[in-house]
Amino acid sequence: MLTKKQNFLECIRGGNPDRIVNQWEAFGRVIANPVCDRSLDEEGRMVDEWGVWFQVAGQPGRMPLHDMEHRVIKDFDEWEDYLTTIPKGCWDNAAIWEPLQAQAEQIDRNEQFVMGTVFPGMFERLHDLGEITETLMAFYDSPDEIHEIMKIITEVELEQAEAICKYLKPDALLHHDDWGTAKSTFMKPEMFEEFFLEPYKQVYKYYKEHGVEVLIHHSDTYGATLVPYMIEMGVDVWQGCILRPNELNKLVDRYGGQISFMGGIDSDIVDKPDWTPESVKESVYDAMDYMGMDTRRNFYIPCLTQGLNVSTFPGVLDEVSKCISEYEQEHK
Amino acid sequence: MSLTEDISNAVLNGKRKEVKKLVPQAIEEGIDPQVILDEGLIKPMGVIGDQFSAGEVFVPEMLVSARAMSTGTEILKPYLIDEGAEPAGKAVIGTVKGDMHDIGKNLVRMMIEGKGLEVEDLGVDVAPEQFVDYVKENPDCHLVCMSALLTTTMPEMANTVKAFEEAGMRDQVKIMIGGAPVTPAYAEEIGADSYTDDAGEAANVAAELAQQF
Repeated sequence: MLTKKQNFLECIRGGNPDRIVNQWEAFGRVIANPVCDRSLDEEGRMVDEWGVWFQVAGQPGRMPLHDMEHRVIKDFDEWEDYLTTIPKGCWDNAAIWEPLQAQAEQIDRNEQFVMGTVFPGMFERLHDLGEITETLMAFYDSPDEIHEIMKIITEVELEQAEAICKYLKPDALLHHDDWGTAKSTFMKPEMFEEFFLEPYKQVYKYYKEHGVEVLIHHSDTYGATLVPYMIEMGVDVWQGCILRPNELNKLVDRYGGQISFMGGIDSDIVDKPDWTPESVKESVYDAMDYMGMDTRRNFYIPCLTQGLNVSTFPGVLDEVSKCISEYEQEHK
Repeated sequence: MSLTEDISNAVLNGKRKEVKKLVPQAIEEGIDPQVILDEGLIKPMGVIGDQFSAGEVFVPEMLVSARAMSTGTEILKPYLIDEGAEPAGKAVIGTVKGDMHDIGKNLVRMMIEGKGLEVEDLGVDVAPEQFVDYVKENPDCHLVCMSALLTTTMPEMANTVKAFEEAGMRDQVKIMIGGAPVTPAYAEEIGADSYTDDAGEAANVAAELAQQF
């Protein structure tokens, strides 16, 4: 029997996995950012290493505060006056990585990948700084300024990547950046290419050249039109891909071998306060049938679309894993 | 090409500065401000909305067009008031309590404004009583639009519908809902009047509902 790690590699390499890869089983996760101070103030807010304020308490994830008092970049044309907190020169510090190294040491590298986890991604960083509506308009209004800011974001990402590879030595890297909604990408593919392809190519190339065997990009959105760019960036696995809007079965048929897909069990549908074993089973079996998992083993990993091995409501993640196993048993 | 068509093209292409130049020029040339509004500003936003619904344009294009339209509307306002023109209706919009997502809500607001309605944006994290209080203070507002992007915050939509019922104001408003996890079935379940799938559709429905008052 293959280890979870071997089985995963067989799956994404088009080999002979001896069973369906079940969600995140092949990964041990380490959040790879020791620079960000996540302590909360009395109102449940935090400030990250770029000076972005987030509401954390009461939110499922951290939500940036973008009123004019808290927004970092208040005007893209004058971004240099506003973007004054840039986390450079702070990553290569052995002491801050020690707790994360200890976490990584707990993971059996024979059985699982040590997966460094990086979020937010570069597009998310940009609109964390400048507010999403203003950011999207700035692609038209202030393209040169956006390129300048992206250059800085890329430099910081590369510094972080160097430190991650030096201190954590991850076998896998999960990088989070939502590039759209459930229906569409946020921008037309040509615009995405102009602003994000090269920055991502640089960063992902660095990881791949420094020991990262599996590069996973998370975007729990529609993104079918961006798959060719993901391949060009060096992404091995697109995680979070939602099922029907992306016509995921067709994507696997078309691009399997160049990239693999991990998702299809939409957290928006499954992960609800009133979930039941029956409701989870219905969604999991629906996804498995849609993907043809009675016979398919390669290039697709059934998984909740949420971007970490967690669920919003307790028990959902484990129930999904159980249903995937049951489906496989029933279809042997 | 007429000046009104030039304005319309400027809106379609998101050219705010051109709109800023062309609208005063059109007024100076004696074109009826209502015609400038309807043909030069509102009509192209309808086109953009349909293109967005069809996946032909994306959020940035919609945003810059909406902003161009808004620039023109602001210039026209005093002239329209002089003519005694009334907005097509009044709406209040917000993302529900506990939810900080605003891009979808912003798009819907802009698109509804593009239909000639006046829209008050209460922002994000809006409690049911805030919606109710707004309508109490603005009885000419007959349209309530709510957005939720999280399964955890969707119940606040039901709470808001209930709050209008408890305030005895349910018949006074039409309630529209939308957002990634929201479905037509959910709208029916909580007693909302309409679920719409995207900002373009939301604007069309809002314009229809506003005519019912």
